[in-house]
Amino acid sequence: MKGKTLTNKARTIISTVLVVYAFTVAVNLGEFWPFSIYPMFSQGGNPWSRALVREIPEGEQISWDRTDLDNLPGIPYGVSSNGVDAIDLANFVSKTETWNTTRVRALSFMLLSGVEDARKLQVFRVQANLDDADNVVIRATPYLIVSNDSNFVNPGIQP
Amino acid sequence: MKMNLSANLFGFDDVDTAGQKLFRNIFELFVVVATAYLAWTWGQYTLRISDIVLPLGFARYIDISFMHGNLLPLWNAGLITALVVAGFFRFGRWPYAVAWVLLLFQYAARFSLGEIPHSANLVGMGLLGYALAELFYPDRESRSKFGLGFTYFFIGLGYTFAAWSKLIASGITWSDGRHLWMWINEKAVDEIARSGMVELNYIQELALSSLMVATIFLTFGLVAEFFAWLVWFKKWRYPVMWAILALHIGIWVTMDILFKLSVIELILLSLPWGALFDRFLVGKTSAAPA
Repeated sequence: MKGKTLTNKARTIISTVLVVYAFTVAVNLGEFWPFSIYPMFSQGGNPWSRALVREIPEGEQISWDRTDLDNLPGIPYGVSSNGVDAIDLANFVSKTETWNTTRVRALSFMLLSGVEDARKLQVFRVQANLDDADNVVIRATPYLIVSNDSNFVNPGIQP
Repeated sequence: MKMNLSANLFGFDDVDTAGQKLFRNIFELFVVVATAYLAWTWGQYTLRISDIVLPLGFARYIDISFMHGNLLPLWNAGLITALVVAGFFRFGRWPYAVAWVLLLFQYAARFSLGEIPHSANLVGMGLLGYALAELFYPDRESRSKFGLGFTYFFIGLGYTFAAWSKLIASGITWSDGRHLWMWINEKAVDEIARSGMVELNYIQELALSSLMVATIFLTFGLVAEFFAWLVWFKKWRYPVMWAILALHIGIWVTMDILFKLSVIELILLSLPWGALFDRFLVGKTSAAPA
C-alpha cells in the first residue's frame, strides 16, 4: 500500500515534469537547460563553421586573404593555453553578425585576458562543405587582429 | 520482462539491502560533487565574459549581464556548493531545489557566447530529481529511490530524443558515413583552435578512408540512442547502458568529444553496484537487483 502511494506520487511528479519539459523546449527552440531535445549533430552533411587563431610575429605582413589550413599565416596558437574554450571561440565568431566595437573588445578580452606580453593574434573563421566529389573542402577567412593595444577587423566583413 | 514501468524505475516495494543503500548514497554523492564542480568551473570561466552573443535558458527572459564583470558567479558557486552539501546531509527539504535554480543562473551566465552544450544535462536532471524527491517524499529511502529512478527515466528519454532529432532532421540517411567525415574535420579544426595543431588517430584515419566503416560507426550510434528508453526496464538496463557508454567512447575516439561527467554517471549506472557491494562488502547475496 505504501509502495502504491509512493508510485502514484512518482507518476504525478514525472508527468508534471514532462509537461514543463515539453513546454519549455517548445517555446525555447528546443533548449532550456537541463531540458533539451538534444539536437546536436542532427543535421548530417551540412556545411559547418568554426574558428581558430594564429599568432602573428612582429614584422610579419598582415593578410586578409582567404586561405586553406595548409597555408595559414603566422605560427600555431592554441587558445587553451590561456584557458579559452575553442568551442566558445567558434560560436563567438560564427554567431556574431555585426563586429561593432563592443563585440570586438569582448573577443579581445576573452582571448587576451591575463596575457601581458605584446602578442598579436589573428582570428580566422573556418568554413567547410562537402563538394560534388565527396571531398571536405575547408577554407579559412581572416576576421580580426587582436592585441593588447589595438584591434582590427577585416575590411571585407565590415557592414 | 516485467512491464510495470514504475516498479522497474523506482522499486519502492523492493527489499532494500545494505549494498543498494550504499550504491544510492554514492550516486547521490556523485550528483552533489558534480553539481559543485559545474558551479565552480562555470563560475570561474564566466569571469572572462563581457558580452552576450546568444542568450540561453533564463537569459532569454532576463538580462543575465548582471552576472558578468563581477565576482557574483563565484559567490553563486559557493552558495550552490553549500546548498548541495546541506541537501546531502538532509538539512531541510529545500536546499537541492534552491541549488538547482541557482545553477540555472550559473549556466545562463556561462553559456552566453553561442555554445549550446549538452555535457552537463544529465547532472542537471539528476539534481532536479533529488530536489523533487526531497520536496515530495517522506523518508530517506523513498527519496533516494525516486531520485535514482527519475535519473534512469530522463537518461532513457534524453538519448531517445537525440535519435528522433537526427531522424527528423536528416532522415534515415543521417548515418551516411560522409557526415562523419564532415564532423571529424570539424572537430579537427576545434583541436587546432584548442592546442594549435592536430594529429588524427587511427580510428579517425580508418573512418576517413572507408565510407563503410564511417557509416557503421554512425549506424551503431543511432541504434544505441534509438533504443535508450530500454534503460527504464531492469532486464535491459545494463546492456543498454553499456551500449550508450560505447556510443560515448565512439564519439570520443572519432570526434574527440568526451562528456566526462556523463560518462562517470553512466559508469555508475551501468553495473549492478548494489549487488556487488552486498556480495563483496556486506558478504551476502543481494535480494533485489540494483
